[in-house]
Amino acid sequence: MDDEHTAWYKEPCALCSAVDWGVSDEGRFYCRSCHTVIERTKEVVDSTFTPGSNRVSTIGRGPRNKRTEGGRQWMICEGFQFILRNQADALLRLGVGPSFKDEALCELWRLYLQKSRQAYTHNPVRTSRFKVRGPDSDSESAAESSVMSASETDGETNPPSTIGSTAESSSEWSQCSGSVDAVSYLSPRLRRSRGLMSMKKTLALIHLALTWSREPLTLSDLLRLVNEGHVPYVNAYEELPDEMKLEGKDALLFRVESVPSHQLVHKEAQSLVLLLQLPAFPPISRQTLLHPALLSLRYLTDANLPDELHPWVCRVMERAGMADQTLHTFDRLSHPVLPLYDVQAAALIIVTMKLIFGLDDHAEWDLSNQTGDLDDSGNLFNLRRWYRLLRAALTRAQQRRDHDVARKQWIAENPLSSSKRDKRVVVKRKRIAEQVQICFQKLSRGPAGGERGDPSSFRFCWGDEDGADGPSLHHKKLSGVLTLQHNVLTPSNSTYWHPALRACNPRTCRSHYSDVEATLPRTFVWLLQLFCFLLDVKPAFLYEEVLKVERRVINSTAARSPETKTGTRTRTRAQRRTPQRGQETG
Amino acid sequence: MEDLETETRCPEDLEDDNDSSDDNSTKRRKKSNLLLVKPMFVEKPMETGFQQTTRICLEQIREALLHHRWQEAAEYMAYYPQILENTSHSKAQQNKEVIWRISTEILHHHPNSKIEDYNNIYERMKHSGVKHYLMICLEHSFHLMLSGHIEDAKRQLSLAEGWRHGKESAAQYQRTKLIHAYRGLLDYIIWCDKKVTHCNTDLSDPRDSQELQNYFRQASVNLKEILKSPGVWDSFILSYVEMLEFYEDHEEALQILNDYAYDNTFPPNPNAHVFLYQYLKQHGTSDRKLMKVLKNLHVIVPSHEMMLDYSSFLLQSEKKSDLQKALGVVLEMLDFACWRSNLDAWKRLKAIIQKLQLQEDWKDVVSLKMAARKDWWPALHFTSFHASKDSEENPELMEVKASLTKILCPVTKIDRRHNIGNTYCPTIICTYL
Repeated sequence: MDDEHTAWYKEPCALCSAVDWGVSDEGRFYCRSCHTVIERTKEVVDSTFTPGSNRVSTIGRGPRNKRTEGGRQWMICEGFQFILRNQADALLRLGVGPSFKDEALCELWRLYLQKSRQAYTHNPVRTSRFKVRGPDSDSESAAESSVMSASETDGETNPPSTIGSTAESSSEWSQCSGSVDAVSYLSPRLRRSRGLMSMKKTLALIHLALTWSREPLTLSDLLRLVNEGHVPYVNAYEELPDEMKLEGKDALLFRVESVPSHQLVHKEAQSLVLLLQLPAFPPISRQTLLHPALLSLRYLTDANLPDELHPWVCRVMERAGMADQTLHTFDRLSHPVLPLYDVQAAALIIVTMKLIFGLDDHAEWDLSNQTGDLDDSGNLFNLRRWYRLLRAALTRAQQRRDHDVARKQWIAENPLSSSKRDKRVVVKRKRIAEQVQICFQKLSRGPAGGERGDPSSFRFCWGDEDGADGPSLHHKKLSGVLTLQHNVLTPSNSTYWHPALRACNPRTCRSHYSDVEATLPRTFVWLLQLFCFLLDVKPAFLYEEVLKVERRVINSTAARSPETKTGTRTRTRAQRRTPQRGQETG
Repeated sequence: MEDLETETRCPEDLEDDNDSSDDNSTKRRKKSNLLLVKPMFVEKPMETGFQQTTRICLEQIREALLHHRWQEAAEYMAYYPQILENTSHSKAQQNKEVIWRISTEILHHHPNSKIEDYNNIYERMKHSGVKHYLMICLEHSFHLMLSGHIEDAKRQLSLAEGWRHGKESAAQYQRTKLIHAYRGLLDYIIWCDKKVTHCNTDLSDPRDSQELQNYFRQASVNLKEILKSPGVWDSFILSYVEMLEFYEDHEEALQILNDYAYDNTFPPNPNAHVFLYQYLKQHGTSDRKLMKVLKNLHVIVPSHEMMLDYSSFLLQSEKKSDLQKALGVVLEMLDFACWRSNLDAWKRLKAIIQKLQLQEDWKDVVSLKMAARKDWWPALHFTSFHASKDSEENPELMEVKASLTKILCPVTKIDRRHNIGNTYCPTIICTYL
């Protein structure tokens, strides 16, 4: 009757050297021949494990099982699911409409799980080493049951558990990670398939969901919210429920040391959209806030440029053929490139300013001198004044940003460590760092961590109230730089410059900005830097976008005017770099 | 993500995940095996957000420190310690040291820093690593010593003495020696204090006090030990000698002073000879012995202030050769600019010359000694500039110098054109224009 507990224990008794053990009432082993009680106790394993339940399902005592009390088995995708949910909730608290989470994000997430074969599938992604103890039908039935449960869910997401009777085999893996499949998640084979989730992908997924729901939150806004801490990303794993213990290799997946850049997340989103094989997105029309027509208005306001500039931006947009909604809507067949709304809008503004002001280090200052002479009432927009204002504000804002970057705390309260022996070291270091921190906090009487100011869509604040970056120039008139020609308002400036074109291989070259930057007019470079600060992208990236917009404008002009000028234009067209696929629609 | 990359070692992932915006062309060039061209535009290596944060924070701290903005440095320092939790091991030691040193620097200058803050920081950083445990212990006890907490300082050193960490503590044996030495010094300081209080309160002979003797014994063990290693141990030897004098162990004192002065393995130390000289003088040694000590000192530092004493010894001696030596000693002293305006030195020279003039061959002696000097001594001492300066500041000096000019620098050519009144050797100036 108790042989099953003692049959494996073959040590001879210390007194009588017999190997005949039994289990007493208290659970201790005793020798049946001489009735000596030894210290060993029998192991108690509760085998009532039901899949898909949230309550505590296994308690293991003894040296074999390393699961902690109150923990439960969980999969990596469940962890990411919680993180996504927290991120979405944060966005909802900031004012995003609930349809973003319920309709867009949840559906995208489920689609992703299905396409990457982590759930909702008959053949889930597994490595060959990871054996399922029970019959294969268990995992299938579990998958089916989770599909059933998923269809019953409303807005709340329940974690789909697909592991049934794998309690025994997972015990080996749980020794190096808290989750069940961290090791398989990290295996080279699966990583090569690129379907697996990562922290970067959470942001990419959210960006897709936001674009789908046509929320006016651009990618640069999202990344700014992440950087400022309003959307959980760094140390997002701290908000996972307590039952999900993170240990060991989980650290490699959930710990981040950088907030990814704009370009990186965009690339991830692009690959994700192809993986998910999404249908055409809801169209971005002129009335949508993501359309450059309206997005540019927001950037004009932020950059303290006059509102009168907006109609000109719209005209340039129409010239470039960018008013059409098909350009801004992702469609797998006709337009498989995810558009960059923010960067394109900024590029449009820059091209408009180049058209109107020249921006070659001479024309704009001459124009502003003229404006200064003409202007008696102070109602005209003067570029020089604007430049001085913005330069001071930009320097201050950059210093503030550096200040915030320096104070950002990256290490969590309970830091993760990749291996058990590191854990002690990690805890010790944490203690030391905390003590030093407390000592200096006391000395400086300052709070820990950067202050999280209220999030805002705008980087600058223009107006007359306290704390504004400067007086507002939005209401100024552009009459100083416009003249009446044939009863039509046209810019006084009639020159337009373009950097030298060269033939390069589009596959190998990404940007020549670093080479060209020294030759560009300083005003233009400064303007690029201003918008790069607003959007938090690299200047080279924005520069390339400006070139693309210019190409569109010039191309469309060439198509429209079939006179002698076409000769020169076609020649220049041949010299131009071949543009990327999918955009040369003219 | 960096851990992830190194863990799984997928180099192809790195390339795609890299945020290559404007430098992709150079990266491709690097990968090609045909062209070994060094890339022209070397971008800063990729850094994570965490590395960027800590780098900017450190830069701000550095700026604040250099401009003495201590409050601002303390504020940034409250955010910097997260670098200690960095998982990479490459710079862990460096980071700890940076934090230790910057923290103490800020605490030194910040107006609100208290001794508890120092103790706190020192204790934390001490236990953060084995390589600098002993250094921080030493610095901690120095700080306590300088702020007057002698007992605490001694306790710290006692704790440090008992620290063992396998190979590490064996490798840092030099620091251990220092720790023992300073412990000895602290024992001496305590001994001094106790002696004073004993003399003030107790009427019995302090030499009989058991407590004092205990401290003396403890101190002497350590101090004697450190005096065996080559080095400059001025404070230690003085304290040891003082204690030995108190307990009237003169042989021991003399022994260690001699060893300190004459051991060739020790770095040359003029102070050692000075200490020995002063001790011998105090204890009534013969002039010959004193002269011997000063002779060694003369070899090491000809411009030492003890040379005046040496020259007076030589002057008083009966031997003829000593008189010539005296002349040599004083002339060598005056070779150095620091003695230029010293009246005592010139007076001594005058006395020597006067005594020398009693001999027949004094001119030869003088010219022999001045042979190497006659080219540059006039410019050093006897120009019109010196004359005017001395006549304003120290007329007595000018008199003494004037009387010696012709003796030391006999003039062979006289050019009356340049004979301006009140100058020493007007003609000599011309040759140096």
